[in-house]
Amino acid sequence: MSFDTGLLDLADESPEGLLGFYEDNGWGDGLPLVPPTPERVDAMLAGLGRVDPDEIVATLAPRFGQATRRLVAVNAVLAGCRPEHLPVLVSAVRALGRPELNLRGVNATTHPVAPLLIVHGEVVATGAYNPGLGAFGPGNRANATTGRALRLVLLHVAGAVPGPGDASTQGGPAKYTYCVAENQTATPWESYPASIGVNTPSAVTIHCGEAPHNFHDMESDHPARILDKCASAMASLGQNNAPISQGEYFVALCPEHAATAAAHGWTRRDIASYLFESARLPARTLRAAFDHLAWEPWMHAVGDDASLPLTGSPDNIRVFVCGGAGKHSSVIPSWGMTKSVTLPVEP
Amino acid sequence: MKIYAPDGAIGAPARSLAPSPEVLSGLRIGVLDNGKPNARELMLRAAEQLGSRTGAVLTLVTDKGTGHNAATACSDAVLDRLASDVDVVITGSAD
Repeated sequence: MSFDTGLLDLADESPEGLLGFYEDNGWGDGLPLVPPTPERVDAMLAGLGRVDPDEIVATLAPRFGQATRRLVAVNAVLAGCRPEHLPVLVSAVRALGRPELNLRGVNATTHPVAPLLIVHGEVVATGAYNPGLGAFGPGNRANATTGRALRLVLLHVAGAVPGPGDASTQGGPAKYTYCVAENQTATPWESYPASIGVNTPSAVTIHCGEAPHNFHDMESDHPARILDKCASAMASLGQNNAPISQGEYFVALCPEHAATAAAHGWTRRDIASYLFESARLPARTLRAAFDHLAWEPWMHAVGDDASLPLTGSPDNIRVFVCGGAGKHSSVIPSWGMTKSVTLPVEP
Repeated sequence: MKIYAPDGAIGAPARSLAPSPEVLSGLRIGVLDNGKPNARELMLRAAEQLGSRTGAVLTLVTDKGTGHNAATACSDAVLDRLASDVDVVITGSAD
């Protein structure tokens, strides 16, 4: 039964009744849901202001479902979002539809990739997103429910249901909810969106990658020694970045590591360049590990003794700051055949 | 209680496979390498076996064209060539 057939009757209005009803229809993520009544959906849509609720924001593969603002709001209600989160979610859905993101491939692959939603700018405060301590973790409604709502849109509208629409061999916890906020107040540089030319009060970024890989450095007072640990985490034969050179890495620096880098005059570009130079493996090792290498032409041409980067360009290494006190940062490798998308938050 | 369904309308109708020909004898077989490891070898063997059993002939082996990769779509030029030059296409090896 689809959205355009109208409203559905829910006979058993208990939480278990809704969960069972959705489960029987092949919907939901397995967790309890908030009933998407017309009243709740209208209240959610009020978070967008005066826009057409039935305009299509994106068409999402592999089901090619038409994601209207109203349908996105339905999934936002189900996930437990507040109305102020809906512009973020609508913008994230818009990003999912961009061709360079390759959503069809993201959903079809056996890899455990999940779209990471990064929230930037003023909406971090107005939406009460957590950019600080435990930024990737539980306990904050905005992070948890916006990420969950995006996954529900993928399940319901895109059809990314394990099996027929999502072939991931093992799946992954990031496929439940995967939303974090940039910690701009602790960032010693301009915001991430501004660094790539997106100059708006608020923005969203989608990066389709793995779960975060931690790297820690408790004692170094120079960025190179810290980033050597990041480079070590990046230089793994098990990540898709190894055989696919267009893949990006997102480096989520904690504020203290970022401050150490900035104190030495390092910019984002310096960090990316250093990691491009230091996250390397011998060409011989990479060629021995893979029969198929989706590399830049120049990478195929170098000799076996050359030391090759794990991505084709420093531009593929993206840096943002999140988290709180402590000296743990993380790197998020890519699925590979995808490019991140950053868009303004617009209703 | 009235509630909304969460899935919505579908933008493009799902496409179904063309019906398989009832007789393969004399038909042209194409192999579309989808970029998965060993896909070409597997499908070439399948095409050879099919040809020897039915009288069909392997006449075209191709990859997806520009940007050939398992995770990307086949180029329109290759699809057009397959549509015009062969009668049966073998493709679709997975991991």
